[in-house]
Amino acid sequence: MKKTHITKLDDFLVGGIIEGSSILFSAVPGVECEAFGYQILNEIIGDGNQGFIFTNVTEPINIIYKFKSYGWDLEKYLNEEKAFFVDGSSKFLGLPRNGKYSIDEINQTEEIILKSIEDIPNGVGIINNLSTLIDLDEDHIIKLIDKWNKKAKANNTILVYIFTKWDYKPELIQDIKDNMDAIVSLNSIEERVIIGQGFMVNASWNHPDNNMILFFVLQPGGIKIYIPKLLVTGSYNAGKSNFVKSLSKKTVPVDRMALEKLPTSIAMDIGHVVHDGFVADIFGTPGQERFDLMLDVLAEEAVGAFIMVDLSAPQTFGRAKEMINKTQAEAIPRIIVANKQDLPGALLPEKIRNAMKLDDTIPIVPSIVIEDNGVELALETLLKPLYGE
Amino acid sequence: MIPKIESGIPGFDELTSSNDGTGGIPENTATLIYGPSKTGKSIFINQFIYKGLTNDEPCLYITTDNGYKQFKTNMDEFNWPIEKYLDSNSLYLIDTISDVSEGIPSQSESFIQSCINNPTDIMVKFGSGVNYISKNNPLFRSVIDSATTLLAYNENMLIIRVLKAYLMRVNEAGGTPIIAYTQGSADSIIETMLKSMVDNIIRIDGENLYIEAMNGIGKRSSPYQITDNGIIL
Amino acid sequence: MNNIQSGIPGFDQLTVSELAEGGIPEKSTTLIYGPPKTGKSIFCNQFTYSGLSNQEPCLYVSTDKGVKQVQRDMMDFQWLTQNYIQNQSIYFIDGISYLSGGKFENKNNLVSSSVSNPADLMVKVGIGTRNVYKTSNHFRSILDSLNTLFAFNPDQMVIRILKAYLRRITEAGGTGLIAYTEGITDPKTEKELKSLFNNTIRLDGQNIHIKSDYEDFNEVKTLESAYTISDKGIVVN
Repeated sequence: MKKTHITKLDDFLVGGIIEGSSILFSAVPGVECEAFGYQILNEIIGDGNQGFIFTNVTEPINIIYKFKSYGWDLEKYLNEEKAFFVDGSSKFLGLPRNGKYSIDEINQTEEIILKSIEDIPNGVGIINNLSTLIDLDEDHIIKLIDKWNKKAKANNTILVYIFTKWDYKPELIQDIKDNMDAIVSLNSIEERVIIGQGFMVNASWNHPDNNMILFFVLQPGGIKIYIPKLLVTGSYNAGKSNFVKSLSKKTVPVDRMALEKLPTSIAMDIGHVVHDGFVADIFGTPGQERFDLMLDVLAEEAVGAFIMVDLSAPQTFGRAKEMINKTQAEAIPRIIVANKQDLPGALLPEKIRNAMKLDDTIPIVPSIVIEDNGVELALETLLKPLYGE
Repeated sequence: MIPKIESGIPGFDELTSSNDGTGGIPENTATLIYGPSKTGKSIFINQFIYKGLTNDEPCLYITTDNGYKQFKTNMDEFNWPIEKYLDSNSLYLIDTISDVSEGIPSQSESFIQSCINNPTDIMVKFGSGVNYISKNNPLFRSVIDSATTLLAYNENMLIIRVLKAYLMRVNEAGGTPIIAYTQGSADSIIETMLKSMVDNIIRIDGENLYIEAMNGIGKRSSPYQITDNGIIL
Repeated sequence: MNNIQSGIPGFDQLTVSELAEGGIPEKSTTLIYGPPKTGKSIFCNQFTYSGLSNQEPCLYVSTDKGVKQVQRDMMDFQWLTQNYIQNQSIYFIDGISYLSGGKFENKNNLVSSSVSNPADLMVKVGIGTRNVYKTSNHFRSILDSLNTLFAFNPDQMVIRILKAYLRRITEAGGTGLIAYTEGITDPKTEKELKSLFNNTIRLDGQNIHIKSDYEDFNEVKTLESAYTISDKGIVVN
């Protein structure tokens, strides 16, 4: 088993990638994908193996530059002959070849990759990228993948395919997937625009897992996973603490938790929730105005916000409206949790819309938090628009 | 105001003058000169670069139809001697068709040989040429005579990509490129691609010269003649 | 149905109807095509500048010319972009300068990509749309042009890239204008291309032909007029 050293990816792969297996990184257009291939190569070579990169989208020199931008030294591995390029790009662009092997005619691709796999038993080969190969020879692509994977298995070489999921026929995509031992889907999290990226793993050697891990690609740094923040905010006494407690199985009271950036005297509730594949941290912010600065800071990093409103206290609606505007500026999804609907004098949830002059895009979920009523629905409503495809 | 460079063809600068009074080829723009064969495209180009050479504007010349010997003869015919410019490295010639056995001067700093069916090699040599020439002089002229032969010897789309890279390099270095092409010598897709990649399009058909497109001015035309001194409008 | 100002004199007057004021339908996609050198890029730049002057940011994907050349082209018509680049009203993706051998300085809203690496192009389009959307959800988007994409990728791949690009723009609520030179692909691809758009504008050197697909009203509207290129840009008569 070869570790990728990419946090959480190895966990989902139950340790790492089994030698000789094929793994497909399938990305929705717009989601960063190459970095996974490059980082895996870098880590596996770093662990003492060999590798190659087959490129048909950019010249080798650009890949060396890309590695540098992540803080990795590919040139060293090239010089030490631990890594080599299969250059499928330069001839196409009319540029000088650069690599141990170079592909001058498309029909040489099959043989040269087979040779490359042979050259690095127990190593890793990166194919960047598969989509470009499909257009050059759609009818034979499955046979090609099959031949390469068989050779890789015989040689104990891992093959990592980078694939952009353009508008291909579903049958073709399924055929490709059926030929792979593991599939990592790279998806976008969208609210009109891409606000996040996540990966999901499905390997033949693990249980199917539908959890999505959000990630960034940092320069330098490479792939960094990201646990999103959900804010729970609202006017004083709207029920925030109870909401946080109800959402998460374990709330971490503030006096036991070391908050790096914030003074510990501030009352904040922090919890964790795993819902439908998302791991998230929940931050309940104090409602008093003097903590608004914190709200600004947290809102910058939050992917969603619950704005709690006390239905029985209309005098607090203005304050809640203020908080809606703050989160709106960051273009993050937010919903109103209209709490305490059981109390006398409580307004009907929909009446709030008029009272606060909210447009139809903000969902309002009624709740009685202390009875655990409406909490699950609120979570689902907030997270629903975040599932992009 | 779009700066122009003198074309060296009598009547051309007058034909292409814009509101501010200056005429010629707009500086740092790409020009395609095309038409049926034997209408004077090479003569136009040679006249253009010779004007530049006499104006201290170096020239980067990629020749695919005529080897060095023929090129020198052609220039001498119109009294445009180029030896001294080759010697002084103002004229940088990349000869893609002469055979080594043809008894030409051995490669010097400014006379380089390449191979018509190796566009990669041509581009590498061209890249060195641009670096060399633009070091001392940002204003230079650059020629490909002709795209037709390049297309005949190589996969067409590859040549389009190579030409795109060529035009981007010359533009970045501040030069003014001109490409010759024989109308109808490649399929219409390639021909349209070529036209869409340049800024100015000149067509000559043996009798008239047509400005089909030029930055800053509309369509113009004029009859022309080939004389002992070159083309005149 | 809302229309946005095109910025081309005469165009808005030509396209006015009982259904809407003149201009380009908001949140729609338009293909501007025609023979080489008929003013398509000028139209795109004019449209961009009109938006910028109206506080509408622009996502500009340039695959034929590098950013320096585009700025120079716009300056020829007095459309000064320096300030808009500085205050981040434009997000510029330069897909071709990588061929020129010059140094490219990536900035926050000025990035380099490659026409031969469409996956990378789309990553930058994703970041770009998020960027302009944060400024305003009324934004314009230009792709000038499909030509170089067709030179560097198989035809079907370009169609796929285009579909993904149009989806991204319309999802974010932008108004897209994409340029293409007629005749650089085969008729079948060209037909497929045109079918992906709500509206098409054809510039043939003398006349402008506008075709608009009003989905809601189940009709296709066509208009025609003469046009010229002046030193202030395109003028429709």
